[in-house]
Amino acid sequence: MSKKLMILACMLLVLLAIVPLSAAAQPQATPKIKIGFVAGIVDPFYQVMEVGINQAVADFGLSVVSQYPPAPWGPNSQTPILNAMIARGDLDYLIIAPTDKDQMVAPLQAAADAGIKVITVDTFLGDGDYVNGPVKFPLSYIGSDNVEGGRIAAEALAQTLGEKGKVYVQNTTVGTSTTEQRGQGFKEGIAEYPNMQLVGMDYNLDDANTSAAQTAAVLQRVPDLGGIFGVNVFSATGASNAVINAGLGGQVQVVAFDATQDAIEKLRQGAISMVIAQKPYDMGYMAVEFAMADAAGVTSLPRRVPTGYQVITAKNVDDPAVARFIYQLPE
Amino acid sequence: MALEKRVESPQKSGEIAQSLGMRQAILLLSRVWAWLFLLALILVFTITTKIYQQVDFLTVRNSQNILVEIVPVLLMGLGQTFVIIAGGIDLSVGWVMGMASVVSASVIVILLPTGIGEGLSILLGFGAGLVSAMIPGFVNGLIIAKLRIPSFIVTLGMSFIARGIAYLISGGNVVIGMPPGVRNFGNESMIYLLNGNIYFFQHPDATGIALRSLDRVFTYPVVVAALVVGVAVFVLRRTRFGRHTYAIGGNAEAASRAGIRVDRHMIILYTLSGLTVGLAGILHTARFNGGSPIAGDPLLLSSIAAVIIGGVSMFGGHGNIVGTVIGALIIALLTTGLVMLNVQPFWQYVVVGVVVILAVLIDQGRDLIIGRMKSE
Repeated sequence: MSKKLMILACMLLVLLAIVPLSAAAQPQATPKIKIGFVAGIVDPFYQVMEVGINQAVADFGLSVVSQYPPAPWGPNSQTPILNAMIARGDLDYLIIAPTDKDQMVAPLQAAADAGIKVITVDTFLGDGDYVNGPVKFPLSYIGSDNVEGGRIAAEALAQTLGEKGKVYVQNTTVGTSTTEQRGQGFKEGIAEYPNMQLVGMDYNLDDANTSAAQTAAVLQRVPDLGGIFGVNVFSATGASNAVINAGLGGQVQVVAFDATQDAIEKLRQGAISMVIAQKPYDMGYMAVEFAMADAAGVTSLPRRVPTGYQVITAKNVDDPAVARFIYQLPE
Repeated sequence: MALEKRVESPQKSGEIAQSLGMRQAILLLSRVWAWLFLLALILVFTITTKIYQQVDFLTVRNSQNILVEIVPVLLMGLGQTFVIIAGGIDLSVGWVMGMASVVSASVIVILLPTGIGEGLSILLGFGAGLVSAMIPGFVNGLIIAKLRIPSFIVTLGMSFIARGIAYLISGGNVVIGMPPGVRNFGNESMIYLLNGNIYFFQHPDATGIALRSLDRVFTYPVVVAALVVGVAVFVLRRTRFGRHTYAIGGNAEAASRAGIRVDRHMIILYTLSGLTVGLAGILHTARFNGGSPIAGDPLLLSSIAAVIIGGVSMFGGHGNIVGTVIGALIIALLTTGLVMLNVQPFWQYVVVGVVVILAVLIDQGRDLIIGRMKSE
């Protein structure tokens, strides 16, 4: 028994001796950085972002470790994973979608103190302004402007409805910055059309069943409703179910946020009329590029990069230039 | 206490009789208060939506919307009612429902291309969903009965396992690619009403504006849920299985001495809870045309609230199925009514919370009175 342990210990020692040697033997021409990626939660959006990160890592010959916090969304799920990443001790850059703009500041400050440079993707810390805002340590914030996304949804809906009529919002949870901003942007966008009216915004707590029930009730309160904005796919799924079962399919327009396979299937079936796609692949790829550039000594990287949107409709969904923004995972 | 009462002087007997009448009234009230609350809610919403929003609350469409909405909460609550009456609790129902939804959708997606036909694929997929939900139920029952571990802990653990498996199978995505039959089963109905005409099992040829006045009465999920409610009422009230469930909840030790096979009974109860939850899962897949891992998680607490509002004692031993139906109806009515009123729907939670606590207070008050009457 003790002999076996001795052999094992010897082997470990040899291994420990070899590993640093082999690492030191590699050429140091390009900065050989190691990147950590911590997603916000398990969902297709972050999975596509990881595809972008992996592609960039492969293109530049870097290495990456990726982790997904379990549900529910929030610092309680994300912080332990972040701390485990910091504890590894071998990461140079951390690409992360902070699950709370205030509560994640301290845990990420700890990462920065440990010598890991932080790039936030999709979501941000503080107010997202890393130049003049309260939080300055992250390298950059690469992600969609969600207020802008809500505004784009409002504009697209206004165009379809001829810039008039009543609209309604199905939101998820109070206090989630991204979805709240989408709702806010939509509200502002609709306010610019004098003949349009926002009749309400309800919260379904990410439950399609509740979304359907609330939407069905609104359809009775407002029989001449023209359109609904679902701030995420579950919200839009429930809303479109209520619309179709009220016999209003095609008459009440449903706009969904995020181009998941599920949303695109419903777009093709006519249950949803528009999908606002973000660009998670771009966010992931660009974040790795930023890490590369910073490691190479580039100092003028923009601290904020809005990645923009693509509006997908039944008309353009098969156009390859548009279809590439569908959140498609490689088989 | 009993001794004191017996030595009281005879002239107080009139007083006792009077308070007995009082107690009878309170007992009656404790039996019907949930009904009264439900009726009061309907009345309040009917009047207020008319006054403030100029819309009708009591319509065929609204009644059907509410029935459709209660299906998942109700199905979860049915199995839960049996389990709680028997003195346990099943906390795994939320994620088991999501798992069943994902399993059913995945199996359908796998079977469709094999060419065995749409109908058979759907049937097998739904069957797989049900079985996948009964397995954790069976394991719950086995561990609780044989290893004597509290149901609270076992089912909490199972909840995490089911959650992990649901995510592992689906990869965190909604499982899509359902054939049209799935959606039809989840959304079409037995009866259609269109401009005063009734159509049975036949979707009337209506398009465009005409579709707006088409009412679906008794959609298939509602019919399925109603059948299950019927069976559950019968089993709990009229069969030996039902009586044994009450007996075990009242006193498991005594039930065991009376010759009831408590272990076997518990295993069956938790498996049945899995079955009703599995039904909720496949009906979610059908209604929303895809399998979602998070389908059931938000509904767990609502389903337990429905059971409590319905008068099932958390200590086991009494309660009934109709109470749970009323509990689920009250919660659904609040959602629909408050949104129709354009009130912040968060008030729903406040009201549900108050009703839950009220239900337990009334329950305990009744127990106190029954206890006193027995001792007199």
